[in-house]
Amino acid sequence: MTQKWLKIAASIAVLLSWQAQAELVIDIVGGSEAALPIAIVPFGNQGPTAPVNISEIITNDLASSGRFDPLPKRDLISDPHEKADINFKDWRLLRSEGLLVGKVSTEDGELHKVQFQLFDVYKAQQLAGMRYQVPAGGLRRLAHQISDQVYQALTGEIGVFSTRLAFVTVVKNSDGTKRFALQVSDADGANPRTVLQSKQPILSPSWAPDGERLSYVSFENGKPEIFIQEMRSGRRSSVAAFKGINSAPSWSPDGSKLALTLSKAGNPEIYVLDIASGKLSRVTHNSQAIDTEAVWMPNGKELLFTSDRGGRPQIYKVSVDGGRAQRLTFEGSYNSSPDISPDGRTMAMVHGFKGKFYIAVQDLQTGILQVLTETGRDESPSFAPNGRTILYATEHRGKALLAAVSVDGSIHRRLGESGTDVREPAWSPLRK
Amino acid sequence: MKNRFFENLSAGSFSILLHVALFALVVSGMDFQSKQYIAEQPKVDIVQATVMDEADILEEMTRQQEIEDKKRQQELDRQAEIDNKLQETEQELEQKKQEMLEQQRQAELEQQQRELEAQQKQQEIEALEQQRKLEEQKKLKIEQERKLEEERKIKAEQERIAEEERKQIIAEQRKIEEEKKRLAEADRKAEEARKLEAEKARKAEEKRLAKIAEEKKKAEVKAEQERIAKEKRLAEEKARKAAEQAKRDEAARLLQESLDAEARDREDKRIKGLVNKYSSFVERRVKRYWLKPPSAEKGLECTLQVSLFPGGEVKGVKVIKSSGNAVFDRSAETAVYKASPLPVPTDPKAAAEFKQFTFTFRPE
Repeated sequence: MTQKWLKIAASIAVLLSWQAQAELVIDIVGGSEAALPIAIVPFGNQGPTAPVNISEIITNDLASSGRFDPLPKRDLISDPHEKADINFKDWRLLRSEGLLVGKVSTEDGELHKVQFQLFDVYKAQQLAGMRYQVPAGGLRRLAHQISDQVYQALTGEIGVFSTRLAFVTVVKNSDGTKRFALQVSDADGANPRTVLQSKQPILSPSWAPDGERLSYVSFENGKPEIFIQEMRSGRRSSVAAFKGINSAPSWSPDGSKLALTLSKAGNPEIYVLDIASGKLSRVTHNSQAIDTEAVWMPNGKELLFTSDRGGRPQIYKVSVDGGRAQRLTFEGSYNSSPDISPDGRTMAMVHGFKGKFYIAVQDLQTGILQVLTETGRDESPSFAPNGRTILYATEHRGKALLAAVSVDGSIHRRLGESGTDVREPAWSPLRK
Repeated sequence: MKNRFFENLSAGSFSILLHVALFALVVSGMDFQSKQYIAEQPKVDIVQATVMDEADILEEMTRQQEIEDKKRQQELDRQAEIDNKLQETEQELEQKKQEMLEQQRQAELEQQQRELEAQQKQQEIEALEQQRKLEEQKKLKIEQERKLEEERKIKAEQERIAEEERKQIIAEQRKIEEEKKRLAEADRKAEEARKLEAEKARKAEEKRLAKIAEEKKKAEVKAEQERIAKEKRLAEEKARKAAEQAKRDEAARLLQESLDAEARDREDKRIKGLVNKYSSFVERRVKRYWLKPPSAEKGLECTLQVSLFPGGEVKGVKVIKSSGNAVFDRSAETAVYKASPLPVPTDPKAAAEFKQFTFTFRPE
């Protein structure tokens, strides 16, 4: 009896002491998805002033992504340019999680030395840092590359600030004629370069996966014709000039083929062109309907396309080898212009609703459709190569312009409001 | 007319054929009666069978037949008469010859009869002699058998007497034997009774001795038991007293312990309440400062060990279990730093809990 009592008492004591020793655990579930506060200190400058303001470009890049909340310049408590100058305690008071510092120096105004360092303010640790030497003309592109590094270090995702956009501008001349230009700009819409000019319409630019070639439709010869153009040399060649429609080119993921819409057999159908051999293979066979706007799935084996075979335009999936097409969209009476995210999971499209057209995404696994925009005159969605943002054409105050929206619909912005009409955007692949 | 002509013609032909057939029938019928007269039959002249009335034919046929029959009968009668005369002569001759033969045969037979009778008589005499001899032999044999039987009977009687005598001897011997056995048995019984008596006496003696020994042993055991019982009683008494004392001590101790435990429990509860309250403050504050990265996918979890200065200021943060996503881990660390100083209780015991503790971070 006595022993039993003692045993019980002992185990109670053990239990109590264990409880006393067990470490407290606090669970944090949720958190906020708000933009990350970052302090970007203007880069120090030695020698002649650099032709571009690098830190300003980076600030705009990060702010435009919607994922960063750069500290206003007036709140910067000091302007360090390297680690030795930094008093982290001060920066902690501002609650900035990241701190970007750097400097630019040049002797001759042409060759520039650039360096940057990104710090974790609370741990007083460097997260990224690089030194570069670039000509003055490369400074803008370098700024975008630094933005990519900061973005990736702090979000864990690939940055797309150094990618490019292709689009078509339309200028109305005083005599009523129009001037079309195929242009390529930086991802922020700045620094546009004209690739092709024409008095006749230019449509549907499509990037080769190497980012070195563009394919597009030009009416320069009085009828739609498909060209491939090299970006560096400007060399171009016509690859499809069949009777009738030649339109909607799209590069295969391996860059060896183009999916096209041709009506040479009388009705618009999807074809695949082997670029090297010029060999054509027909994919769709539906003479009652228009099949067009094909895009490649990342696996290179299937195509998404728009067809009115069901009476109204809807999006279908078909094997590159042909066969039966599978309808993917069922919500609403109008869905067209598909594009697919790099992971192949999300499809972007134009979704018609009560006579207005919006950009929407559909999860290909669940089939759930989400409308991302509110403007109502949206077209030509194109995924950013990291799959986070969708570029599209829209209208604002009677002007055609480009806009971007995050895939979750939370971040919206407009690009390059230059005053000219801008249409047919295509986001380039990542730079290799 | 023509037809009629054919009819008449065929009718005429038919009558001719019928006559031919009838004649043939008559001729053949005669064949059966007597063969030897065929040659003498007048030949039938078919030329005479001119066209006649059928009745005429039959009448003629009958008439002819009658003449024929008469002639034949006359011939037959004549022949028979000759045959009879011839036969009568022959029979007479034969009869005479037979009579001579009979006389001769009769003489022979009588001679034979006489010889046979003589022979028979001789045979009878021999047979009678044979019979007599047989009778004698038979009588002799019977006599012999009777004698043999008598001898056999005498012998049997002798054997019976001998057997009876032998049986009597055996019976007497058996009687003597039985008497012997009876006497031996009586002796044996007497001996047994004697032995039994002796055994009885021995056992009684043994029993008596054993009883004495047992009683002695019983007395000894009883004495020992009493001794043990006494010792046990003493030991029990001692143990009981000790146990009672221990119980009193234990009760006192338990009472004290219970009082202590109650006090401790109250204190623990108080501390626990404080800890829970401040844990919740800390959680809310850290959560508010946590900026979850967009790459934070469902299922990530990182565990941090945090140490605080007494006032709640963060002294150190250490990732003790990474989520596998460096950005996610860092966002959690940063959240803790940004939330510094953390709200901690002033009670020293409750505050002790916050000196070092653990956070787990999950996106959802």
